[in-house]
Amino acid sequence: MTADAPVPESAEQFRARARAWLEANAPRRSAAGGGDEVGSGAGLAGQRAFQAKLYDAGFAGITWPVQYGGQGLTNAEQIAFSQESWNFSLPAGAFVIGLGMPGPTLLECGSEEQKQRYLRPMLRGEEIWCQLFSEPGAGSDVASLQTSAVLDGDTWVLNGQKVWTSGAQYSDFGAVLARTDPAQPKHRGISMFIVDMHAPGVTVRPLRVATGSAPFNEVFFDNVRLGADALIGERNRGWDAAVMMLRSERITIGTLTVGRDNPLGFSKLRELAGQLDRLGDPAIRRRLAELYARQSAAGLFGRLLREEAMSGRLPGARGSVAKLAGAELGTFSADVAADVLGDAVAGYDTPELAAVLTAIVAVPGGAIAGGTNEIQRNIIGERVLGLAKDPGVDRQTPFNQLKVGTQKRQGAS
Amino acid sequence: MSLILTGDEESLRDSVRRFVADRTPLSAVRELIAAGEPYDTGIWKQLSAQLGVAGLAIPEEYGGAGAGHAAMAVALQELGAGLVPSPLLASAVLAAGALLALDDMAAREALLPGIASGEAVATLALTGPAAAGPGARAAGAGVRAVGGAGVRAVGGAGGAARLFGEVAPVLNGAQASALLIPASGPDGLAVYLVDGAASGLTRVPLTTADPTRALARITLADTPARALAGNAASALSTAADLANLALAAEQCGAMAACLAMTTEYAKLRVAFGQPIGAFQGVKHRLADMETAWELGHAALRSAARSADESPADFPRDAAAARVLISGPYFTAAADTIELHGGIGFTWEHDAHLYYKNALSGKVLLGGPGDQLDRLASELGM
Repeated sequence: MTADAPVPESAEQFRARARAWLEANAPRRSAAGGGDEVGSGAGLAGQRAFQAKLYDAGFAGITWPVQYGGQGLTNAEQIAFSQESWNFSLPAGAFVIGLGMPGPTLLECGSEEQKQRYLRPMLRGEEIWCQLFSEPGAGSDVASLQTSAVLDGDTWVLNGQKVWTSGAQYSDFGAVLARTDPAQPKHRGISMFIVDMHAPGVTVRPLRVATGSAPFNEVFFDNVRLGADALIGERNRGWDAAVMMLRSERITIGTLTVGRDNPLGFSKLRELAGQLDRLGDPAIRRRLAELYARQSAAGLFGRLLREEAMSGRLPGARGSVAKLAGAELGTFSADVAADVLGDAVAGYDTPELAAVLTAIVAVPGGAIAGGTNEIQRNIIGERVLGLAKDPGVDRQTPFNQLKVGTQKRQGAS
Repeated sequence: MSLILTGDEESLRDSVRRFVADRTPLSAVRELIAAGEPYDTGIWKQLSAQLGVAGLAIPEEYGGAGAGHAAMAVALQELGAGLVPSPLLASAVLAAGALLALDDMAAREALLPGIASGEAVATLALTGPAAAGPGARAAGAGVRAVGGAGVRAVGGAGGAARLFGEVAPVLNGAQASALLIPASGPDGLAVYLVDGAASGLTRVPLTTADPTRALARITLADTPARALAGNAASALSTAADLANLALAAEQCGAMAACLAMTTEYAKLRVAFGQPIGAFQGVKHRLADMETAWELGHAALRSAARSADESPADFPRDAAAARVLISGPYFTAAADTIELHGGIGFTWEHDAHLYYKNALSGKVLLGGPGDQLDRLASELGM
């Protein structure tokens, strides 16, 4: 039997090719299961080079259409690649946000011109994207955002402030939510735009957090002019696109794996307890044993979700269970760390203790970032258990008649 | 080694779940309790003979299915969800587990086929595993001195002995036709086999917090017994690990039942013009229950796999699963009563049955502190 057309590669052949490529091009994840930090330690140039290699080898945008630079393959290949790459630490953290959120949103809601212009450079790592949703007055209730875009002739004029923006300092483009009709109820007067992060009027400032470091940014828009072609999807329908974007957010299942070097992980705290001669205390031993149990369960739950996803049962809102469990594990770990350290928590003079202290101070941030514990509990209650939604007193009221955040209402129009 | 269920395990889960719903719903369990019966012998016969549940973890050469401990955990999870009273834990998990961990071929051949078919009920007098003492740990990795502290054996020839003392609480101690009793004898700790009809054996059923779990006080006064061959300390330690897995499995199922029951009620019950599940005071408690269940369930799945596939990790994983389920199940059962409000505190409502089951299951065969000590010891602390 002969065939003129090339025989398409099977999912298993794809898997074998992916495995071979990863072996040759990506560092293995540490045996302890840690790593997976954004950036994986590689600099931006290194990450761009890696993403380009990934693209050229045919492993970027596996399920994205071919005409926009994707591979046009199915979920089977995506699953195979995800499974194979689990053992590796891909130095491409700078692209995670763009490929995970704005990318799929453009695919779904963007114009043909937008898809042609932006998707391929995004996939190849030539252009980096960030996502600009949260504001000082709109965190959990992000639909209360106050950044405005006002039409002036055929250009939009963008004003306002965004906050907690990861990667803004090195991003080329951002997907920004802005209010385009304040007379509508809050969910119905929002639009999504593409903003050039290098445009005049865009200011990016590092945001210093409780630990003293600045892992996020504040972004200010001061009369930034956006072309009509910057609008993603329909005017005043940006909330739908935002919800879509948040849904397509990769459930970061597996990020709960706690590495051997985590200062609040069981291994490290047990080592410290030994050094501080605290293991003779039965109460400390029990606390550490419980930390081990909780930490391993969080990792096992992530593994269970992955296994379910691979067998066709997607995690959906159960990703919120992983998020809540991870944040609560952090809180518990900080508490155990304080017990283990005793009064060394209050005053210390070694770099090792300083690392533990920084980690303890960082813990409350974990209960806020990516949705607070309370928001996760709402999601779990409503979307996993199916409980009734909070009726929401603000749903039908025009936005310009609502109180928002802790700020005074700006001149109602 | 995958954490999710295999196809065979899913079928087993479905058939046990169907059996519980059709043959032994909570209304039937209540009738049994009202009649003062420890378990329904008809149901036990069907469970063991038709469904083959009693023989799941017993090798085929002794009349079992050889399906392993993970399969048993799947069945126990469903039976636990329905609070089905049975001697499964005492007989098919503890006694069978101890016999398989000992080296007494005669006892295995005499007892295991009956246990596997459900025709015989055996038990092991395993009470409150104490933490590994320094001596026990030095003697053998992680082996605890368990049970038997109150029973003393006076030896005769060829393993024949007479037992003296008292041990409680013993699961299904009043119903078992064969009792495995740890006791300190002339050569140290050994497990002794006592016939249910032996002279000098007194078995007094205890008043139990959990009416679905039969317990007894066993008194031995010059009771004839036979010392079983094998390392008793290590066999009892294995039995304690299997107990942890089994209780974690039952409680995982029961906790899921509490979560389902309370979630359902929070959707139906209206107060202040809304279903109560819309209020964050209720919604967040249920979200916490769901989260605790997911973590405990993941730990259970891991321990079930270790039991069959990586025995060196099993003591650690089984203790971790127990830690992550016993406490949270008790909290969930208490929340189930509270979130139902007044109706949840009535005798007619099932919530108190779970609360009592959770209370008893939390402390039986080693309470939370014991489990944390066990875990610490397994982790080398």
